[in-house]
Amino acid sequence: MLDRRIFREIDWTTILLMVLISAIGIIFVHSAIYYQASQYVWKQILWLAVSLAVLFVLLLIDYKVLLSFAFPFYVLMNVILAGLLIFGRRIANTRSWLVFGPFQFQPSELTKLAVILLLARLFSSYKEEQMSFRAFLLSSGLVGLPFILIALQPDLGTALTFVPVLLGAYILAGLPKKYVILILIVSLLAGLVGWNYGLKDYQKKRIETLLVPGQDPRGAGYQLQQSKIALGSGGLTGKGYHKGTQSQLRFLPARQNDFILAVVGEDLGFLGILVVFGLYFIFLYRLFMATQASPDRAGVYIAFLAAMLIGCQFLINVMMIVGLFPITGIPIPFLSYGGSSLLSNFLIVGLVINIKMRRFAYVRF
Amino acid sequence: MTKIYEDLSLLIKRSKLTFIILGVILFLVLAFYWKIQIWDHQKYWKMAEANHLRSLPIPAPRGLIYDRQKIILADNQPSFKVSWLKESIKTDNQIIEPVSQLLNLRPEELKSRIERYRWLQSFEPVIIKDNLKLEEVAVIEARKEEYPELQLQVEPRRFYPFGSTAAHVLGYLQEISPEELKSNPGRKWRRGEMIGKSAVEKQYDDYLTGQAGQLIETVDSQGRSLGEVNRIEPIKGRDLILSIDLDLQKRAEELLQEKEGAIVVLDPRTGECLAWVSSPSYDPNRFITRFSPEEWLSIISDPGRPLENRVIRGQYSPGSIFKIVTALTSLETGIVSDRTTFFCSGSINLYGQDFACWFKPGHGSLNLPEAIKNSCNVYFYQLGRRLTVDAIARYARILGLGKATGVDIPGEKDGLVPSTDWKRKVQGETWFPGETISVSIGQGPVLVTPLQVAALTACVANRGMKIRPRVTRVDDQKTPEQERTGLDSDIFEKIIEGMWRSVNEGGTGHGAYQPGFEICGKTGSTQVISREKAEKMIERGEEPAKTHSWFSGFAPRNDPRIVVTVLVEFGGMGGQTAAPLAGEIFKVYREKYVRQANLQGN
Repeated sequence: MLDRRIFREIDWTTILLMVLISAIGIIFVHSAIYYQASQYVWKQILWLAVSLAVLFVLLLIDYKVLLSFAFPFYVLMNVILAGLLIFGRRIANTRSWLVFGPFQFQPSELTKLAVILLLARLFSSYKEEQMSFRAFLLSSGLVGLPFILIALQPDLGTALTFVPVLLGAYILAGLPKKYVILILIVSLLAGLVGWNYGLKDYQKKRIETLLVPGQDPRGAGYQLQQSKIALGSGGLTGKGYHKGTQSQLRFLPARQNDFILAVVGEDLGFLGILVVFGLYFIFLYRLFMATQASPDRAGVYIAFLAAMLIGCQFLINVMMIVGLFPITGIPIPFLSYGGSSLLSNFLIVGLVINIKMRRFAYVRF
Repeated sequence: MTKIYEDLSLLIKRSKLTFIILGVILFLVLAFYWKIQIWDHQKYWKMAEANHLRSLPIPAPRGLIYDRQKIILADNQPSFKVSWLKESIKTDNQIIEPVSQLLNLRPEELKSRIERYRWLQSFEPVIIKDNLKLEEVAVIEARKEEYPELQLQVEPRRFYPFGSTAAHVLGYLQEISPEELKSNPGRKWRRGEMIGKSAVEKQYDDYLTGQAGQLIETVDSQGRSLGEVNRIEPIKGRDLILSIDLDLQKRAEELLQEKEGAIVVLDPRTGECLAWVSSPSYDPNRFITRFSPEEWLSIISDPGRPLENRVIRGQYSPGSIFKIVTALTSLETGIVSDRTTFFCSGSINLYGQDFACWFKPGHGSLNLPEAIKNSCNVYFYQLGRRLTVDAIARYARILGLGKATGVDIPGEKDGLVPSTDWKRKVQGETWFPGETISVSIGQGPVLVTPLQVAALTACVANRGMKIRPRVTRVDDQKTPEQERTGLDSDIFEKIIEGMWRSVNEGGTGHGAYQPGFEICGKTGSTQVISREKAEKMIERGEEPAKTHSWFSGFAPRNDPRIVVTVLVEFGGMGGQTAAPLAGEIFKVYREKYVRQANLQGN
């Protein structure tokens, strides 16, 4: 089954980019929590090693085989998510973690992989130029279920990362204008209802802060204010590695997760930001262009949805920390601290590499 | 080629378009970063410099420690301390010099103090002087503007109102060392925090320590406070009630004044210690400063070793006190009964060696209770001749010797119960029967702590019920920790008979006699003396006393309520020195508790 020739086609550049960005992440997690125990750093290094190993195992399996398991995988993940809601232990006030001894894992991260595979499977035989209403409803519902289960944990940040994936499916399948209008109306209504009943007070505060920044620098706007001060005071070249006063003084909350880029910006200045943006730009370019190197429709969907997922997470995070988007708790893929998201991101990009490897149909005469 | 690729050009077109849109947005966002980081750099730089938040710990008062009558033994007093708050802890001499002058410190001292905490995160205060006098406070307050890095704070400081009284029960506090800070990352200790370093303060440190509060304030780049942002009040530690009776404790300390030794008074029913004296003592108030190492050195180098808790760390030869163990072993193994008599002629030749009785003329013919009463060595040599050392060791262990009693004060020593095994392992030699003869009267390698002797006495008083000594009150709801030895209570009665006669019928313990109080006791005198000690005493021009003096007893005979154990180092014969001291304590106890009970009863 395994054709040796496919290994010549492994996209080493993309793998290298992932490892490079993760390494930068680890270096700045170390800076962010310089005075604390280094166990964070070692844990993340371990996760990186595990992720790389799992990535190579994944490459051995043809993505078409994976696609055939898309539906059971999707069902399994939703059962786990539902089970967590009922039986899960609360950690940091959410029921998002599965605990195996010293390691914790967020099933919601792996659910992203399941959703991408399922959508690709669903649209692999969909050859219309525009999306039908049935396909529209079906895809929305399939993404909506895990979205709700994760939002109930409550982990709105991770739940929101499913939106770009669904959006990607709409774009690729070709969404007619009337549906765009429908979406706008539904989301407006949902927003109104959600504002009054669904959103927690702190979440409302965050949105208010976005609209009127600086009105409450010690409360909801505090994080934003501190991250802007960190970035702004970094200037062009920064204050030097782990010399940033904002992050070192612990003024900046969640600095190893969602605000890791602010630490980069304070320590290395605008030049550091430029490097991260540059690396990401190349990385995203390779992901989006992988659609060209895909042998079939399902492959195009996988590559595009993966690119949307990672690209939009990056975009939301970089907008969030300068106040262009509400603070929602979406980390930067690969750069931010967090083991389960690192692993699931490696697997998602691994799918894209998997497709590129098998882009030629080798024929035996 | 057999395979025809699908036409995916429409999808690829959409994908490219999406990437272009995403790229454009990213570029615009990057421009926004440029605005913040380059355009508005000055503004944010100033904000970063000018708008620091600083968090200062507010120390929590430690829980108070009371005696059993609710008299405060360990209190808290407000005290001023000054901390160094230079943001990056730069040790530039320009500031070190004037500050050390202002605080009357040597510059090197101040520098080393700051250096010690370099490894910790900066921006946390380093305490550089505490227990300030009011004049010093006034000087610092007056020059506040000049030295914004100096931070005056009031902290609750431990204060022991009775000074050296009960110091060995209470213990003392000292500043946590950087090593302790490093090795306990899990504990929320702060630098400069005072923690319990011995006795109850150490044992119950977690219980007594409160939870520090936090003050968050904004400061300018010079470290000057611009106002309070948030304050979390500290939570005081929990109070602790000891079983110590201050009156008894004070009286016992008076009795041991100018002497080196130990006194333990405990309640045999519960194990609660009413008095705990180790002499000489020290004043724990003197350690509650983070500084003045000279004073500390003078105390730890004192030849009388005032810091040593002799009650649990002094290991002494038990002397004739150990005859209780020999007698129990003999009765339990059935080699003699209480009516068996031996003849004491003043000495006896066993295994070709002369063993002397302390009473040269000899006691004549006597039975076991009489032998205990007179502490006759020859009688016990006769027992030792019929016993193996391993049998004696077995019962000594059953009675609680040879291992720590488990009292709630840390650092307890185990003592030593020799056996053939022990000698083979430790000295690599076989045991000689002649040594058993020595052990039978408590000489030889046997070692006990005064607390072990008190616990042994309590076990005898309880007719075989062992208790675990403690210095805190037993919860009314809980039954005290007891353990049966499994020995026959009749056997204990026979020994108690001898101990009663010793005190009440003119035996060696006669010095402890109190009319109207049924005291039973046993004396002991040990012949062991370290040459070093003896030489020191000769140097001081004193007659080197040859023996440590022991007395341990309980009262009343039939309903034991109190055990008193007295050890006086180089006190001479047990009957002469230790017994009268014990008698005095029995008297004080009786006046206070027994009469009180009688008055209440009637």
